[in-house]
Amino acid sequence: MRFLGKEISTPLTLASGILGISFSSLQRVIRDGAGMVTTKSLSIEPRIGHEGPVIAEFEGGLINSVGLTNPGIAEGLEEVEKFHAGIGGVVIVSVFGANAAEFVQLSKAVNESSADILELNLSCPNVTDEFKRPFALMPDKITEIVSAVKAVSTIPVLAKLSPNANDISAIAKLTEDAGADGLTMINTLGHGMVIDAVAKRPVLRNNFGGISGPCIKPLAIKLIHDAYKVVDIPILGTGGVSTGLDAIEMMMAGASAIGVGSAVYDHGLDVFKKICDEMETFMEVHGYAQYSDLIGILEEN
Amino acid sequence: MKCDRQTLPIAAIREENASLRTFTFDGKLNAEPGQFIMLTIFSQGEKPFSILDVDKNTFEMTIKNIGPFTDSLFKMKVGDLVSIRGPYGRSFTRHSGNILMVGGGYATPPLRFLAKRLREDGVKRLVTINGARSAEDLLYVDDFEILSHQSHVATDDGSLGHKGTSVDVMESILEKESFDQIYISGPEKMMKAAVAVAKKYQLPYEVNLERYMKCGVGVCGSCVMDPTGFILCMEGPIVDNETLDGLEDFGVAHRGKTGRKTVL
Repeated sequence: MRFLGKEISTPLTLASGILGISFSSLQRVIRDGAGMVTTKSLSIEPRIGHEGPVIAEFEGGLINSVGLTNPGIAEGLEEVEKFHAGIGGVVIVSVFGANAAEFVQLSKAVNESSADILELNLSCPNVTDEFKRPFALMPDKITEIVSAVKAVSTIPVLAKLSPNANDISAIAKLTEDAGADGLTMINTLGHGMVIDAVAKRPVLRNNFGGISGPCIKPLAIKLIHDAYKVVDIPILGTGGVSTGLDAIEMMMAGASAIGVGSAVYDHGLDVFKKICDEMETFMEVHGYAQYSDLIGILEEN
Repeated sequence: MKCDRQTLPIAAIREENASLRTFTFDGKLNAEPGQFIMLTIFSQGEKPFSILDVDKNTFEMTIKNIGPFTDSLFKMKVGDLVSIRGPYGRSFTRHSGNILMVGGGYATPPLRFLAKRLREDGVKRLVTINGARSAEDLLYVDDFEILSHQSHVATDDGSLGHKGTSVDVMESILEKESFDQIYISGPEKMMKAAVAVAKKYQLPYEVNLERYMKCGVGVCGSCVMDPTGFILCMEGPIVDNETLDGLEDFGVAHRGKTGRKTVL
């Protein structure tokens, strides 16, 4: 199948933030059954991110406040070159800038690398103390950043949206109008907080973090479907997918490819193979010839 | 879901030497030798530590004061609360024949834990080598003597035992005697040297590796080793000889707090 013009072996994609520092872990995820991998969000300068604990578990998933830990764009792109030297597979390079000018600078660097697709992380919830309101909640910022990046990018551009936006249909539409080639949705939800009752303290060092995992899947599916109805550009769906059926539901809602993140915590890297196998079984039983036959076929009641 | 978080008061603190203390907790930890835990100091941070010992209702970690985090820990008193999650990672594989342990510096606590378990298992013969810079840096000399059929001590300055490194002693032992399994835990350069000796004698070994870890559960990617994408916190920290052969980073490079790779 194809996604944004790139041939991919499966619709499964490593979501940004999971493992994606080194070429070796990205290659490994491709070998384990993903068609695409997303790097951690790269910034101009290296970032340490937040102090630990950066991850806390609860009944329905995880909260995290990693805080955009990354080795910086220069070193990050070196890993992308090493990745391509060793294996096929599509690399989405995620970038995070403090403003439109930084996004443009980062996008130029990514375009000079062997990256296949660029993803603009407009919606990280974990750096609001540093960068204030996520761009994905501010329509004028989305338009400014996406159109500025599109002016310099020859590779396809994905904009990563936030589930915290009030009107996702309007946001999705204006992101398309600004020139985005596709949408990645959704980023983590909230902030949420998990409390250590014995200590009377939040578990995360940063007190709160973005919510991910199975509990956000119904929200992701609804928001993806809302967006699918108003845009013509493809959607990379992410949010709580851990089974083949989850992925199929999300594709039926309108996603063209599926990001997997928190499920790696529960199931390890075998989760990609597991989801692929489960998808194939479902498709065989229910008579779908190819992944693309699933996209957006949902009929509402 | 798999997170076993326990928030506990420190039950006891024991001074091992000028820079090492053993912290005891009254709690259950279903850990095997070589595994580690993540320890949180509230308002400070979270770091991985290897486990010294586990009993029915207590567990212990011997910790070296190496920076701001451990400095805070060393200022804490019995009764102060910390949070612990784990145990995580792959433990040493237990063997029962002729066993050689090669330890260096403050990385010997997991070997002491393993020695205890191997003796309980009825190991045929256990030879241990405990090396450090100087006599005051050696840990658990008496314990290793009790637990081993034969125990050796090496110090760089000759202040106790053989003058030289634990790897020197390892070489001289292997000239005379063969082993079914070697366990190595120490600074990475020392382990690299020990691995070279084990390879020369074509003996199987396991090493105890250390990399910067943030999540401890195979998600953040901080501890990944090239070129295989080995996830040390989950698939290590104990690594067997076959796997280690694939890890070009061993003894060469590691990733820092930003994920940036630097030469060791």
